[in-house]
Amino acid sequence: MSEKDREETTPPDSSRRNFIKMMGVLAIGAASIGFLRGGIQNIIPSSSPVLTGFPSLKLVDTTGKPISTNSLVVNNPEIVTFDYPLVDEPNFLLRLGDSNNKDVEIKPVTVSIPLTGQTFQSPGGVGPYKSVVASSAICQHLGCVPPEIRYHTFTASSFDGKIHCDCHGSTYDPFEGFKVVTGPTQRPLPNVIMSHEGSDPDTDSYYVKSLVGPVIYAHTSDLSGGNPLPSTTQTTVTVTKG
Amino acid sequence: MANENLIEKIMNDPQPIPRKVPDYMRKSGGFMFWTGAMVSAVFLYEVVTGLILLFYYQPSNAYKSTEAFLNTVPFGSIILTTHLYGAYAMIVLVYIHLLRNLFVGAYKRPRQMQWLSGILLLLMTIGVGFFGYSMSGDVLSADATDVGRGISGAVPVIGQYLTSLFFGSGTQLSLFHRLLAWHIVLAALIGIFFLAHFFLAEYNTIMPSGKDSGDRAPAIDKDDGTYKPWYPYNLLYMMQIVLLTLGIVVIIPSVLAVIPNVPALFSPFPQVAPNSPLAMSVPAYPPWFLLFIYKELDFQFAQGLGPFYATLIFAGLPLAYLVLLPYLDTKASLKLVDRPITVSFTIVGVVYLAILSAWGALEPGVPINNGIVAIFYIVPLVVITGFVLFLTKMIKQGKITNPYIGGIVLSATFAGLSAFGIGAILVYSGMNFTPSVLAGLSILGLFLGISLLFAFALIFGIFPPKARKQEENISKNTYVAYSSIMGVLSIVILIEILSMPFGNIYNQSLYGVGLGVLLLIGGVMIRLYRGQYYGE
Repeated sequence: MSEKDREETTPPDSSRRNFIKMMGVLAIGAASIGFLRGGIQNIIPSSSPVLTGFPSLKLVDTTGKPISTNSLVVNNPEIVTFDYPLVDEPNFLLRLGDSNNKDVEIKPVTVSIPLTGQTFQSPGGVGPYKSVVASSAICQHLGCVPPEIRYHTFTASSFDGKIHCDCHGSTYDPFEGFKVVTGPTQRPLPNVIMSHEGSDPDTDSYYVKSLVGPVIYAHTSDLSGGNPLPSTTQTTVTVTKG
Repeated sequence: MANENLIEKIMNDPQPIPRKVPDYMRKSGGFMFWTGAMVSAVFLYEVVTGLILLFYYQPSNAYKSTEAFLNTVPFGSIILTTHLYGAYAMIVLVYIHLLRNLFVGAYKRPRQMQWLSGILLLLMTIGVGFFGYSMSGDVLSADATDVGRGISGAVPVIGQYLTSLFFGSGTQLSLFHRLLAWHIVLAALIGIFFLAHFFLAEYNTIMPSGKDSGDRAPAIDKDDGTYKPWYPYNLLYMMQIVLLTLGIVVIIPSVLAVIPNVPALFSPFPQVAPNSPLAMSVPAYPPWFLLFIYKELDFQFAQGLGPFYATLIFAGLPLAYLVLLPYLDTKASLKLVDRPITVSFTIVGVVYLAILSAWGALEPGVPINNGIVAIFYIVPLVVITGFVLFLTKMIKQGKITNPYIGGIVLSATFAGLSAFGIGAILVYSGMNFTPSVLAGLSILGLFLGISLLFAFALIFGIFPPKARKQEENISKNTYVAYSSIMGVLSIVILIEILSMPFGNIYNQSLYGVGLGVLLLIGGVMIRLYRGQYYGE
């Protein structure tokens, strides 16, 4: 079509009309793109940390009272856990003892990660007897949680003094920085770094400070991929039957 | 043809879908023919935002995951608050759609099935709203599920089964899991029944204007050869309506989100958790669209009946009336004057709904004795029905010729409603002017003043007869200028909302307002274009 033909067949106003049309399409297109930004950015789960750093939380019981040394049972056959650092991320709280249920001092040790060959420094026990330790309670093999994974006391029929996961048989040693005893897991449990305040075992209190070791199972970082805990000062310790 | 395929008939008769519609559906006031389209637009918005929310909602962690979605997920605040206000808008629009069809007589043959499916959709909309509202896990949701448990549990014989069917076997996890499941199931059912409702509407054609149908049922719309094709005329008009509706739906909660101290009833955010010490300070409100049932449960004789039978009476009777209406009012005339009982019952129903809702909001949980209940039910019924009957008689006898009679009746109804409300508050509060009583009084007083002003203005003809709109001869270049301004504005807004951080609630509100303004601009541009090039 020549230039002249087009002028004859299209109405004289068509360029104005097309301009207004274009502006309308522009406005609606802008609205759609605006929507897309919100929608897309919303459904991509944030990999940036929901917390800026590990919170320092006091361990309290379900009534809000601080957990004291004497409120913890040595080699407790029940499962004692608390959420940290995010909601739905259980951690074991253990007061370890020997076969006579006498407190055992847990020394800081270097723990290796069989999968990567790297090592990390386990913090060791805290409290008056240096016997209280904590670790993630999510199995590093396929993510099983208590009661499948739990601490077996010295009166248990098997795996005594070890953390054992019933799902696939991974076993960890809480006395040695939660290192791998038997597979299939190739990573030890992440250790919780704790601190202790007070000298009276009836009124002292425990704080959780951070995690060390591998990241929590299936996480890209310990501080992302979940919802923050409701309190920024404390986390609740719950006890369930083993 | 007797054995004609029904689907073929729906798709091709009177013309193939998408169907041509008369021009008056796109003229000023034509949006009353599109109330269903507005409902569907908002429904679609709800589906989209609801599916986004589904990525994050954790029934095991209802309150915390809702709060985390609001506070930590990018654009969570804007998506959650507009999902809530979209639901509110959908309920309001469903009521408007219902009222419009009641007044034009769209329930009459051949549209009975369409009407009944619409009633079902109303119920499902309120149901899906109830379940959605209860999902946040805040103190209000706990109150709402408690009332729901009370009503379902009081159903004779099967109460216990119904309660566990809807609200689970008792743990919080099973409760919220079920609320989520029912919310989605009902939304899906709404989608399915909406399709049935929509294709019935296509089958029965749009409800033509009174002039076209001669005000007689069956009112079928037939193309008289002047109808313009669906594309582009109706498509553009529909887009205009959809964009304007969604723009408003997005803007309102975005603005409310940054206004401090919005009352719990209209707050776009969840309240505190039920186990929080602050929960005591939040009055136990149900969602506003169920306030009327909530207030009715406070009535003295309703408390004697128990929650199930009370609900059965208060919600069941109006429902039964709506269901039976197409079979009770079978006269062919669609004129309002020929249907005074239907008209007055509709007005009375709206009056009951409005007063009960306001009452429930102002005095939640305060028991009401039988005398006041009787006055509340009888006075509006007698006054409105008598007034409407008298008025229709006068009009039929030709004694009233005021062309604004519709407006006068409407403003008189508002005035009467407000006066009744003021009287009720004055009597009931025992002249004890607490802030909530004063607030109620001043709002109603304002309504009364405005509606009386309107009524008198119309009666004494202060408004000049409708002047023919002067041909606005805006030059084509002015249109071009307008559209360029809006085009540039939309680019500026787009850049602004694309580049802003989403860190806090103010940013998200700004994003929401920007988005809403873009939608409104889109709608206005279509309006300009239609005006300029289609002469509409």
